[in-house]
Amino acid sequence: MNEPGMPVEIGRIDKELGKLWEASDDTKSRASLINLVIYSEDPGSMESNTELLSSIASQHAFRAILILADPGAVTSEAKAWISAHCHLSGKGGHQICSEQITFRLDGESASALPSIVFSHLDSDLPLCFWSQAEFREPLDEQLWSWVDRLIFDSRTWVDPAAQFQLTSRICAVTETVLCDLNWTRLHPWRFAMANLFDHSAALKCLPEISSVHIECCPESSTTSLLLLGWLADRLGWKLQSLLGSHSFLTPQGREVGFETTCRGENGISSVVLSGAGFSFRLHREASSGFFHATLALPGVPETLLTLGSGRERLTDTLLAELSRGGRHPLYPRALAAISPLVPGD
Amino acid sequence: MTDSLTNPLREGLASRAMPDPCTLVIFGATGDLTHRKLVPALYNLAADGVLPPAISVVGFARRDKSDAEFRGELGEAVRKFSRQSVNDELWECFASSISYHRSAFDHFEGYESLARRLDELDAARGTRGNRLFYLAVAPDQFEVILENLRKSGLNHGAKGGWARVIVEKPFGTDLPSARHLNDLVEGAFPEADTYRIDHYLGKETAQNIMVLRFANALFEAMWNARYIDHVQITASEPLGVEGRAGYYDKSGALRDMVQNHLLQLLCLTAMEPPTGLDADAIRDEKVKVLRSLRPLEGDDVFRHVVRGQYGAGSINGKRVAAYRDEANVNPESDTETYVALQVNVDNWRWAGVPFFVRVGKRLPKGGTEIAVHFKSVPPVLFKATGEAVDDNVLVIRIQPDEGVSLRMSAKMPGSSLRIEPVKMDFHYGTSFGKATPEAYERLLLDAMSGDPTLFARRDEVEEAWKFVDAIQAAWRTRSEDLTFYSSGSWGPTEAEELIKRHGATWRRL
Repeated sequence: MNEPGMPVEIGRIDKELGKLWEASDDTKSRASLINLVIYSEDPGSMESNTELLSSIASQHAFRAILILADPGAVTSEAKAWISAHCHLSGKGGHQICSEQITFRLDGESASALPSIVFSHLDSDLPLCFWSQAEFREPLDEQLWSWVDRLIFDSRTWVDPAAQFQLTSRICAVTETVLCDLNWTRLHPWRFAMANLFDHSAALKCLPEISSVHIECCPESSTTSLLLLGWLADRLGWKLQSLLGSHSFLTPQGREVGFETTCRGENGISSVVLSGAGFSFRLHREASSGFFHATLALPGVPETLLTLGSGRERLTDTLLAELSRGGRHPLYPRALAAISPLVPGD
Repeated sequence: MTDSLTNPLREGLASRAMPDPCTLVIFGATGDLTHRKLVPALYNLAADGVLPPAISVVGFARRDKSDAEFRGELGEAVRKFSRQSVNDELWECFASSISYHRSAFDHFEGYESLARRLDELDAARGTRGNRLFYLAVAPDQFEVILENLRKSGLNHGAKGGWARVIVEKPFGTDLPSARHLNDLVEGAFPEADTYRIDHYLGKETAQNIMVLRFANALFEAMWNARYIDHVQITASEPLGVEGRAGYYDKSGALRDMVQNHLLQLLCLTAMEPPTGLDADAIRDEKVKVLRSLRPLEGDDVFRHVVRGQYGAGSINGKRVAAYRDEANVNPESDTETYVALQVNVDNWRWAGVPFFVRVGKRLPKGGTEIAVHFKSVPPVLFKATGEAVDDNVLVIRIQPDEGVSLRMSAKMPGSSLRIEPVKMDFHYGTSFGKATPEAYERLLLDAMSGDPTLFARRDEVEEAWKFVDAIQAAWRTRSEDLTFYSSGSWGPTEAEELIKRHGATWRRL
């Protein structure tokens, strides 16, 4: 593996970073809007995370603290590197740079995570902590209470039910904003579906929906559940279970069936909402940046629409999350609407 | 839950409300503004996903052309002027919402057929009877269009929808003409549905002035005559009159720029905190500033206002002609291409703090900024060292390179005491990498959403004209104060003297 920058002693990181900027000529400026901590326990993640940081630096300046930990390692060791991601500013010659401090924490050193984070933050800037590892007991309340935005991706979890419980507990004892990239990934879908129902004729169909069909790849089963939870919360549907089968009950007391089909290799590929005499189909090809929508409404010619969907690359999802800011009040509600359906070990 | 008006799926998707589906009717659809600004702005909004797909655009103009021809022309314009690259698939989808309605502006039947067409669009696309009329035409066309909109009933939304009108500047050429225009508009649309565009207000940094002032305790506490020495507002451009000579020669810099853009920036800089963020609360405060401007009348005009006209010179190493030698300019024209004025805001906060405003063409560098110059520290502590201490200056750059900088003094490293000015600089482009939307994007979206905050209200426009008309009136009494400056210079020397009387100099941009 290539070294992720210039090796430095951990106690000299600030000094070495200072030297880095002193040595650069006036054509480079350091920029930072946030502290972005990425914590991973996947040995192969250092390079991919460094690439990811490089690709977002031009749009969201940061001080990144990238931590690769192996708490189970026999030998305790801590190493650090510093580097910068620079890009030309719009004006040409001048370069704008974001700093990256990379740590490798093995064995006992991994327990130093909070102090590593606390001692290398760019002061006064928000702290976004992206945990790529699963949360585990005991929760470090002090660490999480310092985090402004806790980023995670529930799509990658092995035991989503247990992990959702842990994140709810973090949320209960701290002010941190839970930012599930799996929820962020749904934003274009939610946006496009909302667009479909702006038409007054379509809006009338919303309370009449009787069936939801979602197609997605096997890895996106929690993504499709969250989408279902969002629909249920927005439309006032309540989950009901009968003899092991599930459906929703509308406020008017009608039943809404749902089905998820595994298909494709890339996230959600289609959503169909239908009822008596109408259907709304939203579809996205794996490589496309667009949704194709088909609206079949009573008394209206079938309508085809093309809507921007953005890409579903991790870079785009992370950038979308960092750029949107704010809290995500609908996320816990969507989760609550489908929580009995969330798989666990 | 789901009522007939709200879409429950919209909640939580964006920090601002999605505009209602509507039909945008552009009068002057074959003109430059439509091609360069309006349709590219609409495409960008569609590409960003902030327009409802149900929106329809109808171009209204005299020339004969089909929908397909009109879409083709707009497609070329969007490819040329859009801030983001054009995706063919998305353009095709957006273009399907565009149609062309051929009619002369004074042809009443054209409005009747427009009404029928809009009803059809409401039914087919779900635009719910909401209509937004954009008058992208010369002011002399306003009257006939507004009158026909009124007579045809199009000034009211259909089936419970709304009808609004956007009016482009220039909004009048003086106070009487502005009042006349306002009366005409008011005869067709209530003030609440009238949106007078000043595109400077749509710029991100102009909107940031209020945030900078009122979201930072540091600045607002010092934003008054006790701490501020003077304020400079500059809008400079290296361009000449280009293709606008016919209009510009009748208008001049004072009416073209000061009456609207620069007085708006002055208002945002000088106003009191509004009682809320609603449109009228903000516009009330701006109007109070305009009413507090000390009138410049009679001889005061010649003491406090400098007007100039560019002569031949060079810009970026290229020779350029004098204003009077430009095509379509009267060779004996007295029109000012530069104006610098000292404005006093006679209220409690700004007593004794002059606002120096300057605008000019054929200046060495383009840029618009507001520079707040703070008072000097008492000359006691560092006087003995012989070190000069520069005053603090807070600069809000409106364009280009939008951002904010603060100049302060710092000790130079070393054993001796040497003080040098240093600059803390915030660049939008550096911190927020994504491209900021064009002003027209924001303003079109606001008008569709029914938010008039960034549009000028009737009383704002009229108060600004009142101030400017007095200067024009004094200029009409004599013309010998018109000075000349070389293209590529920073304007007439008289402007330097104007600010020097206050003990200051114009900032180097």
